Amino acid sequence: MLEQGKISSAQMGKMIFLAVIASAVTAVPSYSGKYAQNDLWLSPAWASLTGFLTVYAAIALNKLYPQKSVVEYSTDIIGTIPGKLFGLLILFFYIHMTGLIARGYAEFIIGNFLPQTPISIVIITMIAVCAYAVKAGVESIGRTAQLFFFFFMFPLILMPFLLRDMKPDFLFPMLEHGLLPSLKGALIPQGYFSEAFLMSFFLPFVTDRGKGMRSGMLTILGIALMLTCINLFILLVFGTQAADYLYPVMVAFRYISIADFFENLDSVVMTVWILGMFVKISIFYYATVLGTSQWLGLADYRPIVLPIGILIAALSFWSIPNLNQASRFDVISFPFYGPLMQTICPLLLLGLALLRKKGKQQSQAQMTMAPEQAHTHTEKQEG
Amino acid sequence: MGSLSENARKWWRSHKQKTQQQTAPSHTPLQKQLADNEQRLRDLYANCSDVVFRSFRIGGTIRALAIYIDGLTNQEELERSVLSVLMQTKLPKDSPLTKLLDNLVPVTKSREMSTVEQCLEAIANGNPVLLIDQQERAIAFGLARWEKRQIEEPVAEGVVRGPREGFTESLHVNTALLRRQIKTPALKMEQMQIGGYTQTQVVLAYIEGIVDEDLVAEVRARLGRIEIDGVLESGYIEELIEDHPASPFPQILTTERPDVTCGNLLEGRIAILVDGTPFVLIAPTTLFSLLQSSEDYYQRSLASTTIRWLRYLFTAISFLLPSLYVALITFHHEMVPTSLLISMAASREAVPFPALVEALLMEITFEALREAGVRLPKQVGAAVSIVGALVIGQAAVQAGLVSAPMVIVVAITGIASFMIPHYIAGIAIRLLRFPMMFLAGSLGLLGIMLGIIVTVIHLSTIRSLGVPYLTPVGPIKVAEWKDTLVRAPWWMMNTRPHLTGDYQKIRQGANQKPGPKKGGDPA
Repeated sequence: MLEQGKISSAQMGKMIFLAVIASAVTAVPSYSGKYAQNDLWLSPAWASLTGFLTVYAAIALNKLYPQKSVVEYSTDIIGTIPGKLFGLLILFFYIHMTGLIARGYAEFIIGNFLPQTPISIVIITMIAVCAYAVKAGVESIGRTAQLFFFFFMFPLILMPFLLRDMKPDFLFPMLEHGLLPSLKGALIPQGYFSEAFLMSFFLPFVTDRGKGMRSGMLTILGIALMLTCINLFILLVFGTQAADYLYPVMVAFRYISIADFFENLDSVVMTVWILGMFVKISIFYYATVLGTSQWLGLADYRPIVLPIGILIAALSFWSIPNLNQASRFDVISFPFYGPLMQTICPLLLLGLALLRKKGKQQSQAQMTMAPEQAHTHTEKQEG
Repeated sequence: MGSLSENARKWWRSHKQKTQQQTAPSHTPLQKQLADNEQRLRDLYANCSDVVFRSFRIGGTIRALAIYIDGLTNQEELERSVLSVLMQTKLPKDSPLTKLLDNLVPVTKSREMSTVEQCLEAIANGNPVLLIDQQERAIAFGLARWEKRQIEEPVAEGVVRGPREGFTESLHVNTALLRRQIKTPALKMEQMQIGGYTQTQVVLAYIEGIVDEDLVAEVRARLGRIEIDGVLESGYIEELIEDHPASPFPQILTTERPDVTCGNLLEGRIAILVDGTPFVLIAPTTLFSLLQSSEDYYQRSLASTTIRWLRYLFTAISFLLPSLYVALITFHHEMVPTSLLISMAASREAVPFPALVEALLMEITFEALREAGVRLPKQVGAAVSIVGALVIGQAAVQAGLVSAPMVIVVAITGIASFMIPHYIAGIAIRLLRFPMMFLAGSLGLLGIMLGIIVTVIHLSTIRSLGVPYLTPVGPIKVAEWKDTLVRAPWWMMNTRPHLTGDYQKIRQGANQKPGPKKGGDPA
């Protein structure tokens, strides 16, 4: 195998958790709020359905092909040439997504904290750090994710300091226009949930794969809970205004003042968020690199880490000219683009694989049945 | 690269052969004639003024020769219980040596030898060798004694509560210190010699039954691989057997304390004792064991836990404080509360340097002062501290070179780095502080976070003899948090930490929590 390292299912869960939530947490309240108004806290629950489906597809496929990633088993399921083409499609999707994520991260940093730093520096430094992590292997990424997970949870402790600014009235009227607005609000977050499909690249390295399903489902549940929690907080603080801010979570943390001394805690949140973004980009980057070397049949993935890193940096500029276009992509294209590649395609693959297995079993059954029948036949004749 | 190391290997081979020819060709048996043996040894020890050859006759008839090194041998004892006894005895010509050993010489440690090499080794270790005419065997007497330092309190690892003994330069004193604490025969001490010229004695100590056998085999193999001309300190061995030579973090713990060594042996680790140094190597180790002091286990658990957390906090401070200060001053003014920002700005008004230069200047000066303080003779040390207080202090602020907050930052960082109980671990963090300052000066908090991420990736990549360096937080081992995140009371420490492979998990009986209701009944 290309990768010697091993991770535990708990590590994988934390990696996926950070990969999904790191970018979702900044923008989701705003996007959901746009459509769901004051029902935005219901949206993550609907959105998580995509997550559960994706995890189910990834794990069911892994059960059929335990040592293979999606790039490898696609050729087994739909034949060599279509499978390779599909693998290429998936790889293009992931390298494109990694570029977009890196760009989104850099835009956020430039917009909020380092307005005078050139954006290329922010992107290149992050990709260099991620390249180091990818080179270090899946084990290091797993351990780092495990460690950073706790730090990532830290801002939740700060949230109670917002209680002063919260107005429960903003919750009501609940479900004023039925369920539809909250469902509409779920459309964008469910795109992020589909990213859980990345686990298909990591499942072959998981030691306790029996717990994979449990860990994957718990991860999705955890993400849904955390997003619900954050949406609720944002709603209680801003009301329907939440949709007017680009990054409402940051604005909310700016409200916090502890003892009139600890103020402007958004910087603290930013530092923690960088940790999450690092894990997210590393995981996407790792999946791209691993998938590419599997697709090309390389013996080692390390030589292509740097070239792909350069491609990712380039793609972060090629795909989008500016922040507005990035937001537009997030709202209009990604809710369909992401789940199409990461949920619907895997589900189709799974269906085909199951059909194929069934067909094989039937033909095998016929093969084994045939001599038996012949045998009984002869017995009868003798009798 | 390849050809270079190949050349080095060739050079080493020829060199080794040469040195062997100089000392002795391998395995020369002793001759029957005393004169032949004497000539051979005199040739080998030509121009060695410290080697003493003493010829005498046993019982006035048989010619014999005693050889020893002046200053390494207990001369009075040699005279009293070997020379005078043998000179006055009557011995039949062909009586076996064992009789001589059994009946005549009152020395407990004595050994028969048949080759010149064995004789050389015995002489070099301070054991006088007796050669007798018409005998093809020689006897070495265990009469080595040389001047050694007394057992003193370790300088680098002080404690308030706990044993005050420290290891010394003498290997056998050190092994005895271990044996005095761990009396079971399961405590094994494998001895080997490393170093072509120095032939330094190295002891590999472990407790059989607790330690993982594969771990011992691995360490033994790594020690066996070493080809070096001399070992003067355990640092040589450490650098030759560690897993990641390029890492700034030490992957092997060094200690001067027998209690620390015993504690680690009881947790299934191995210790390497090297003759000539009080510093013992302990492996495998983790980042957290470098942040623990032996006193943690002697104080009350609540106090130890608090002190541990204080130590973790100050380790982070010594790593990050200067760069955080630089980042806040350069990029993130809004994070500093307004009143504090105003006073900081006021004190920085006269300072000509940017914050990064100021911080580098002060940190480098501080490091220089510390190094000077360690190296200088004690009489000059006082001068250094006086001058140091001027350089990093009020005078520098009044001169308008640095701001007062910067002085405070440097001072706190200095104190913080002294809080790390193992000096070598402190060095790694001191080193990494400088790149962090550059990152902070160029990218602010983002730079600091990137620096932290790179450090964490590095730490999660390295292993010490197969044990991940960040155990038990990455990978998580909840059972071991009782001795890292807190220091649980002894009645809760029922299991040993898991290092590699098989291990003896249970360390002590369960349910030992004391209390007034606890009667004599063990259930």
